[in-house]
Amino acid sequence: MDSFSSPSIGSSSSNISSSDLMDQLKTQLAQAYAEEFLETVRGKCFEKCITKPSSSLGGSESSCISRCVDRYIEATGIISRALFNAPH
Amino acid sequence: MDPSALNSAEMQRLLNQEKEKAMVNEMLAKLTSECWDKCISSAPGSKFSSSESACLSNCAQRYMDMSLIIMKRFQSMH
Repeated sequence: MDSFSSPSIGSSSSNISSSDLMDQLKTQLAQAYAEEFLETVRGKCFEKCITKPSSSLGGSESSCISRCVDRYIEATGIISRALFNAPH
Repeated sequence: MDPSALNSAEMQRLLNQEKEKAMVNEMLAKLTSECWDKCISSAPGSKFSSSESACLSNCAQRYMDMSLIIMKRFQSMH
């Protein structure tokens, strides 16, 4: 079962409550966002840190990747604060 | 749950809430991606330079300014 499928809502044997349904929805949304975020970070850090792929991952490439992940998370926070704290 | 409960006002309210949260989340993700591309030119360091963090913050705010202009212009065409 993939992360987006769920028990059929219309089936007569379904006992899911609406709060359970909402919980499932929120969980699946959170999972989808985490996946999307990871995919974005992969793309950005590959672009910045692995400029000339060689036969193995170098030490400088590895530390660049670590910094890149930290910076991207930090950038998300900066953008978030700029969007939600700055009234216009 | 009776399938007709999906149409209840309460359910619609909860779903709309989630839809709004999803839209906000999407905008944050897209904006972070675009502003990263615009503002972070070199390989990431152990912290942002002050110009990099200023750029990121400015980027988000200028995007909102632009959105407003676009909306007004679009509305003035009707």
